[in-house]
Amino acid sequence: MVFSIGGMKLAARTEDVGAVSSWTETIPVPSRTPFVQAMLKRDNHAMPVYDLAARLSLKHIGSPLLCLVIRHLDGPMAICIDADMPSLETVDVAVIRPNSSGDIESLGSVTIGEHDVTIVALQRLGRAVQDTVMR
Amino acid sequence: MLVETASFLVVRLGLTYLALPATGVRGVLTQEEACHERTVTTAGSLYRPVDLAQQLSIVADLSGIEMRTVLYSAGGFLGAICVEQVVGLIDVERNKYLPLPPQFRGDERNWFGGMMLYQDQLVLILNPSWALGALSSAEPASLERTEQLVKIAPAAVGESC
Repeated sequence: MVFSIGGMKLAARTEDVGAVSSWTETIPVPSRTPFVQAMLKRDNHAMPVYDLAARLSLKHIGSPLLCLVIRHLDGPMAICIDADMPSLETVDVAVIRPNSSGDIESLGSVTIGEHDVTIVALQRLGRAVQDTVMR
Repeated sequence: MLVETASFLVVRLGLTYLALPATGVRGVLTQEEACHERTVTTAGSLYRPVDLAQQLSIVADLSGIEMRTVLYSAGGFLGAICVEQVVGLIDVERNKYLPLPPQFRGDERNWFGGMMLYQDQLVLILNPSWALGALSSAEPASLERTEQLVKIAPAAVGESC
């Protein structure tokens, strides 16, 4: 699945995405965990929000913004993405390159169209930066 | 079947709703009853100010008419906690509140014992021992300061200063 944050194209494995819906107002939660400072209420459940845009120093584009519910190893988590509806792309595993930037938890990068797109490891999102900060 | 419940005083600070275990609540004062002072004495007990908004880095407006001072006891400490609003006292079935999601991995795990949904709001269950624990490093009230203390008759909630 290819989505964008602040116009930056990112990809994720479809099995790591639980749902795509419209973004709703979040509830701030006092927290010292980097980029986890709010929760999103859906029906009778609340899930943590990961501020991926802040982590990447980007600002969302478009309206209404969308919500990606991700299947994180610690449980469902929401991230806010641009208003552009995500698209599905099929790529051969063999063309996935290791990602050397280390900016974000990733499974590598791939060229889609003219873009070099990082495949975000949504299941592990936040773990690297948290481990660094908490250490 | 008997359902085990726990009582909480739900309060609001800024946009954050907090639940204080009701067992520690010793009283709730209006601004007038607290005489606009932060340290309160009642029934011979001294309640030191607890700046919960600062401890939790919450932007709160404590000048509104709904502001209240909650007198609270936990872990051998007595605290006067200013809140923007007292929402109410609630009884909650124990299976209705949940631990903080594991994605929260920082100090907040000490701040909150869990969370619950109440009247469409997310309510964080405050850990009172942590909230009042900061008082353990507080110096004893000086004579000068003691003279400024608010003197309230025992169980005088509602009386004028």
